[in-house]
Amino acid sequence: MLGYLARRLAMTIPTLLLVAVGVFALVRLIPGDPVQVMLGDAADPAQAAQLRAQLGLDQPIPVQFMHWIAKLATGDFGHSITNNLEVLPLILDRFQVSAVIVLVAVAAAACIAVPAGLVAAWKQNSLLDLSVVGGATLLLSIPSFWLGLLLLLLFGLKLKWLPVIGYVPFAENFWQAATFIVLPIATLTMVEIGVLTRMARAASIEVLRLEYVTHARAKGVPEWRVLARHVLPNAFAPTWTLIGLVLGHLLGGIAVIETVFTLPGLGRLLVDSIFARDYPVVQGCLLFTAVIYVVVNLIVDLCYPLFDPRVTVA
Amino acid sequence: MPRRRPSPAWTVGLAALALWAMLGKAGAETLLRTRLNADIRSTDPGTNRDANTDGVIAHVVEGLVAFRDDTSIGPMLAESWTVSNEGKTYTFRLRHGVKFHNGATMTADDVVWSLKRWLDPATQWRCLSEFSATGIARIEKIEAPDPHTVAITLDQPTALFLPTLARPDCGQTAIIHRDSLGPDGKWIAPVGTGPFKLGEWKRGQYVDVIRFDGYASRSEPRTGYTGAKDVKVDRVRFNVIPDSSAAKAGLLSGSLDVIMSLSIPDLEELKSRPEVQLSITPALGLTGILFQTKDPLLKDVRIRRAIALSIDTAQIVDAVMMGTARPNNSALPLGGPFYSEAQSHGYTQNIAEAKKLLLEAGYRGQPIKMITNKRYSYVFDSSVLVQAMAQTVGINIELDVMDWAAQLDRYNRGDYQSMAFTYSARLDPSLSFEMLTGPKATQPRKVWDNPEAQEMLRQSMMIDDAAKRQALFDEMHKRFIADVPMIVLFNGAELTALRKGIKGYAGWLYPQPRFWGVTVE
Repeated sequence: MLGYLARRLAMTIPTLLLVAVGVFALVRLIPGDPVQVMLGDAADPAQAAQLRAQLGLDQPIPVQFMHWIAKLATGDFGHSITNNLEVLPLILDRFQVSAVIVLVAVAAAACIAVPAGLVAAWKQNSLLDLSVVGGATLLLSIPSFWLGLLLLLLFGLKLKWLPVIGYVPFAENFWQAATFIVLPIATLTMVEIGVLTRMARAASIEVLRLEYVTHARAKGVPEWRVLARHVLPNAFAPTWTLIGLVLGHLLGGIAVIETVFTLPGLGRLLVDSIFARDYPVVQGCLLFTAVIYVVVNLIVDLCYPLFDPRVTVA
Repeated sequence: MPRRRPSPAWTVGLAALALWAMLGKAGAETLLRTRLNADIRSTDPGTNRDANTDGVIAHVVEGLVAFRDDTSIGPMLAESWTVSNEGKTYTFRLRHGVKFHNGATMTADDVVWSLKRWLDPATQWRCLSEFSATGIARIEKIEAPDPHTVAITLDQPTALFLPTLARPDCGQTAIIHRDSLGPDGKWIAPVGTGPFKLGEWKRGQYVDVIRFDGYASRSEPRTGYTGAKDVKVDRVRFNVIPDSSAAKAGLLSGSLDVIMSLSIPDLEELKSRPEVQLSITPALGLTGILFQTKDPLLKDVRIRRAIALSIDTAQIVDAVMMGTARPNNSALPLGGPFYSEAQSHGYTQNIAEAKKLLLEAGYRGQPIKMITNKRYSYVFDSSVLVQAMAQTVGINIELDVMDWAAQLDRYNRGDYQSMAFTYSARLDPSLSFEMLTGPKATQPRKVWDNPEAQEMLRQSMMIDDAAKRQALFDEMHKRFIADVPMIVLFNGAELTALRKGIKGYAGWLYPQPRFWGVTVE
């Protein structure tokens, strides 16, 4: 187990290095630079050159890259060019916001989608199945920003149950904070239900056709027990993989939802930093996202044997 | 059953609680809470700085002179000054009884020490280059003939000496006490003469300024960064809130008292809220349409002029700024001391004349690319309206929407046909023209390449006589309108929202807050 873990972690190093190179190169290919953004229209060439030198942006790109990597190796992500804050605490701070929303939403979506998919598969081709599949397809096709805006209009403006804009950290006021993230969580849950239901249904249909299910039924095992003991655990494994992928993808930032609901999450930090050409923050965010992706997938893989006894970690 | 008597511990506890409550009431401080969209960069004035830093530090330190409400220069720590030696020597009489935050009384010696520190390259003062050989003038001598007089001698006369000393981004060339530095010469914190002392600075969260009880206020009314600075709150907290929606929510929920620099959509939204009052003041920025006069098509002044005559500036400004700004075709800001009758003559919409000019120029509907951005909604909206109005005379403008950083890159390289653009505040009319005028060969970002205008600009920077400067600016304005290197549309507005209980706040031409004279109810 530990050997496996070590090997998996070692394998991530080349991946992350590749990401680092890619991120660094891409960020610098965008026209414009942070000094121009900072000085705006008053960018006197001499002053701009001085500031570039101060920030180390006058060095050749490979030198800048080596400098960045060397600092990264010591855990130093550098400082934001725009506000001089340390990049890593900044990212972690913003990540908390995104993580709460994504984790709650994906958990809620899974709790709804997996039973729904199972039931739909069990009653395949019935009216119930049709409505579950239809509902899932509909949710899957709605763009998240549009759904978010609709919810905002309904609960924020029409009914006035929830605040329309802003954010309060949980540490400041728990209940107030909760009111701000209810709608983003609801939006994301609905969008993800679509994907997960379809996956859960497809996997369950396959399992329902297998011999051990027929065998269990032939033995006279009650139908609910067949579903709970034999179908669900076996059908859940592929859905679990998908949940891992979805989590990895969403934890990298839900910029659109964060923008609609004005939440200071990781996604918006990244977008804002791109606009400001804040190289250290953009690089930090993208690298952090890559790490999250790798870690989530590792956790998913390590959990696999829990659901599927045929899989072992060696 | 015997009744229990309260234990001594209870009695003492209650007494302590009552005492604490009384003390709490007696010591209740008045706190004003405002917002910064990013943390300040340092507390060393005019060195490692940005606009947020300048805005906070202006409450803590002061210079010899300062900008007034209309951007003219007034005395601050100086009582008065005289200019001699053919405009090269400035002799400042200092005010008596001005105290630093550590209790020491300001003398000429402190002024000389501070100025010499700014001029030391090791300080990395932002405005050092202005006083070098390539700047406005070199400082040759700083002397203190007596404890209340300081004389500064320049190598050549310049009209920009006092405005540069007063520049907020130069930290107002603050006069600070030696205790601001440690024994090793390293910066600790500003020990200034301002109406507030620097309080706690919690990086990334907030910076506090605390009322300075020993402050010696000037007697004339508050104006710009000078005049009376009567502090009526105990503490001002500048909260770092990067997200403008979060700041707006903070204001509405009552956890913030003042937020500045609202956008027009924000303004419209906050207008209807009963708990909020708004302060709308004209600003010094400048929004307009730039033309690349080296472009094969737009090098023909008739086409540029046709565009200018096809638009109705007043209508654009009204639609874009929702009545918060007035039209202005001049490079000088409305409300500034040099904005005279001459500057009010701009372009008047004349469709027939525009069409005639286009015909003469042989324009046959060739597309004209106009770069614009959505970072500033008023820039984008202006470009859309200019496009639509130009269309009526047959001018084919194609909008190219970019992100601000990419547009700035194109601006700095002069790589565009036309662009909708916005300039930040300039506090002196010479500087307003300087941001537009210059040789494109060496300064590609300059939009107006006219050698005669450049010579007039140079003179306006040298002469200290207001009437002579006015004549130069008037002449430059005439040529600017004739050359049409750009169409200035308006100067914009500074929009501030305050809770109803805040009294005495006033915006001014420079987009920074002043929290003296402000009360919290």
